Amino acid sequence: MRKLIEFQNIVKSFNDSLVLKGINLSIHENEFVTLLGPSGCGKTTLLRILGGFISQNEGHVYFDDIEISNVPPYKREINTVFQRYALFPHMNVFDNVAFGLRIKKQDKNTIEQKVKKMLKLVNLEGYEDRPVTLLSGGQQQRVAIARALVNEPMVLLLDEPLGALDLKLRKEMQIELKKIQQEVGITFIYVTHDQEEALTMSDTIVVMNAGEIQQIGTPTDIYNEPENRFVADFIGESNILEGVMLEDYKVKFDDQVFECIDYGFEDNLEVDIVLRPEDIDIVPIEMGRIKGVIKSSLFKGVHFEVVVETPYREWIIHTTDKVEVDKEVGLHFFPEDIHIMYKMGTY
Amino acid sequence: MKGYASLVKPYILWMSLFIVVPMLLIVLYAFTEHGNALMAFRFTLDNFMRFFDPVFIKVLFKSLEVAIITTVLCIIIGYPIAYIISNTSERTQTLLILLITLPMWINMLVRTYAWISILSDGGILNSIFEFFGLAPIKMMYTDFAVMLGMVYNFLPFMIISIYTVLAKLDRALIHASHDLGANPIQTFLRIVLPLSMPGVISGITLVFLPAVSTFVIPKFLGGGQYMLIGNLIENQFITVGEWNFGSAISLIMAVIIMGSMILTRKIDRDASDTASVEGGKLW
Ligand SMILES: Nc1ncnc2c1ncn2[C@@H]1O[C@H](COP(=O)(O)OP(=O)(O)OP(=O)(O)O)[C@@H](O)[C@H]1O
Ligand SMILES: [Mg+2]
Repeated sequence: MRKLIEFQNIVKSFNDSLVLKGINLSIHENEFVTLLGPSGCGKTTLLRILGGFISQNEGHVYFDDIEISNVPPYKREINTVFQRYALFPHMNVFDNVAFGLRIKKQDKNTIEQKVKKMLKLVNLEGYEDRPVTLLSGGQQQRVAIARALVNEPMVLLLDEPLGALDLKLRKEMQIELKKIQQEVGITFIYVTHDQEEALTMSDTIVVMNAGEIQQIGTPTDIYNEPENRFVADFIGESNILEGVMLEDYKVKFDDQVFECIDYGFEDNLEVDIVLRPEDIDIVPIEMGRIKGVIKSSLFKGVHFEVVVETPYREWIIHTTDKVEVDKEVGLHFFPEDIHIMYKMGTY
Repeated sequence: MKGYASLVKPYILWMSLFIVVPMLLIVLYAFTEHGNALMAFRFTLDNFMRFFDPVFIKVLFKSLEVAIITTVLCIIIGYPIAYIISNTSERTQTLLILLITLPMWINMLVRTYAWISILSDGGILNSIFEFFGLAPIKMMYTDFAVMLGMVYNFLPFMIISIYTVLAKLDRALIHASHDLGANPIQTFLRIVLPLSMPGVISGITLVFLPAVSTFVIPKFLGGGQYMLIGNLIENQFITVGEWNFGSAISLIMAVIIMGSMILTRKIDRDASDTASVEGGKLW
C-alpha cells in the first residue's frame, strides 16, 4: 500500500514542557491506525498537528510526499471528529452535518440526501431540526462523527469518537465505522483509551507514552510481543517480572532457570519478562514449575481471575476452572509463553 | 440563609425612595396641569398633545437620527477593534481593554471639554493646520463635532460588549469550521459573526439608549442651536421651568426607548433561532 502520511521527527512543546519528543510515523492509504496511550501523552496534540491547528516546533509532516506544514487546515484533505465535538451551537443537527458540503457548494438535493443517509448511519434519523445544544453527550458525539464522515475525506482523524456512548451503542458504532472505513477506503487515524476497541478495530496500533512512541505494530504483535514493560502493562493484563537472560534460550527469574524461545540478547543481561495471565495453567502442586497458594478467585464473566502467591510475587492467572482459595497449587507454562523484553531505556 | 433576607429591606426602602418615587413624580407631572402646588393637581393630556408640534417632532427625529448614526458608526468601528483585540495574546488583551476603558474613568463633561479645546477655532487641531500652512477649518458647533463626541464617548461600550462575547468564543469551533473546508472569511461569516450577535445587540442597547437622550455632548459640541431631545427636556426643567411638559417628553422618550429595546431583543431572538447561544455548552 502507498504511503500517505509521514511524520518526521515531530517535536512540540507548550511553554517549556515537551509534549512530543520526536515522533516518527508512517501511515498508509486505507490503513486503520490507532493511537493508544495514557491521558496526556500527546495523542490529541499529534492529531492537531496533522489537522493543521497547531504547528510543530521541529520536524516535518508529509501528505502524499508533499510537506504540508505550511498548508492551512481548510486546504487539507483531512476531517476531524474532535474530542470535545465542537459542534456549532447556533445550528441544528442538519446544518451542522451539512456544513462541509455547503462550503463545497454541492447542490441542495445531494446535500439533503447525503446528510439524511449519514444521520441514519449514526442512528439519529428524525433529529434533523433539533438544536445541537439540546442533545445528550452521546448524540452530540454522533453528530460530530456524521459531520466529519459526510465529507468522505481521504483521511479521517477521530479523537476518542465513541467515548461518550454506552457499551451497546459503542459496539454498533465500532462495526459501522470499520465498515465505512473499508468500503469507502478512508484512512482512519483513531484515538482511544479502550484497548479492546484498539485491538479489534485497528490494522496498526501505535502505543505512546509521555510524547514518545513505544511500539508500532499489528494488534497481535502488540499483544503477543510487547517491546517493553510499558507496552506489556498498558495492553491487556500481564505478569511482568525482572530476570536475567543467562544465554540464548535460557532465562532466570525467581531464582529458577527456565527454557524460553528468545535469543540474541547479551549474555547475563538484565531483562523484563512478560507472562500473560491466560498462558499460565494451574496444575496439581507436583506438576508445577512454580509453587504457590491461591489467594483469591474472582469471576469475570468468561473466566476467573485467580491470584496465586509465591514467596517472590503474586501471579495473575485467567482460567475457566473453578479453584479453591488457600489451596497449594503448581503453575505451569511453556517456553513459548515466556516473552523477554529489553529493559526500558537500554535498547 | 433566611436571616439574611431581612438585610435587603433597607436597600428596598432606599430604592423606592430614590428611584421609584421620582419616577412616580414624573408620571404625576406629565398628566397634570401647570403649577407646582402638589395638592391642587388636575388631570390633563395637554402636555402630551403639545409635543405633537412639527418643531418638537423634528427634534425627536433629529435625536433618533443622531443616535442611530452613532450606533451604526460604533458597530462599524467597534467590531473590527473588538475582533482584533480578541485575537491577541491574553496579556495584550488585558492591556488593550484597560486602555479602552480608561477614558470612562473620567467624567463625561471633562472629556467633552477636552474635545472643545481640540476642535475649537484656535484649538489644537487648527493650530497644527496653521503650522503646516493650511487654512483653519470650522469644526466646533457642527454635526461633525457632535458625531465625533458621541462616537468617542460611546465606542468603548460597543467594543467591550462585542469583545466580551468574542473572547468567550470557543476556538475549537473555528478549528472545526476550518477543518470542514471553510476559509477564514467563510468561517467569520458563518461562525464568528452569528455567534457574536448577542454582543452586538447588547452593544446597541448600551450605545443607542444613552445616545438618544444625551444632552451634554450636543450642548457643548453642537452649541446652543443644536437641539436634541435631551436638550429639550433639560431646557423645560431648568430654563423654562415647564416641569409638566418636560415630564411628558421624558415619558414619551421612555416609551420609545422601551419599544426599541423590545424590538432589538426580538430581532436577536429571531436571529439566534431556537438555539440559544447561552445554552451552547458542550456537555
Ligand atoms: N494548548 C496547550 N497549552 C499548553 N499545554 C497543552 C496544550 N495542549 C496540550 N497541552 C499539554 O500537552 C500534553 C498532551 O496533551 P494531549 O491533549 O495531546 O494529550 P492526550 O494524549 O490527547 O490526552 P487525553 O487522552 O487525555 O485526551 C498535556 O500535558 C497537556 O496538558
Ligand atoms: Mg486527547
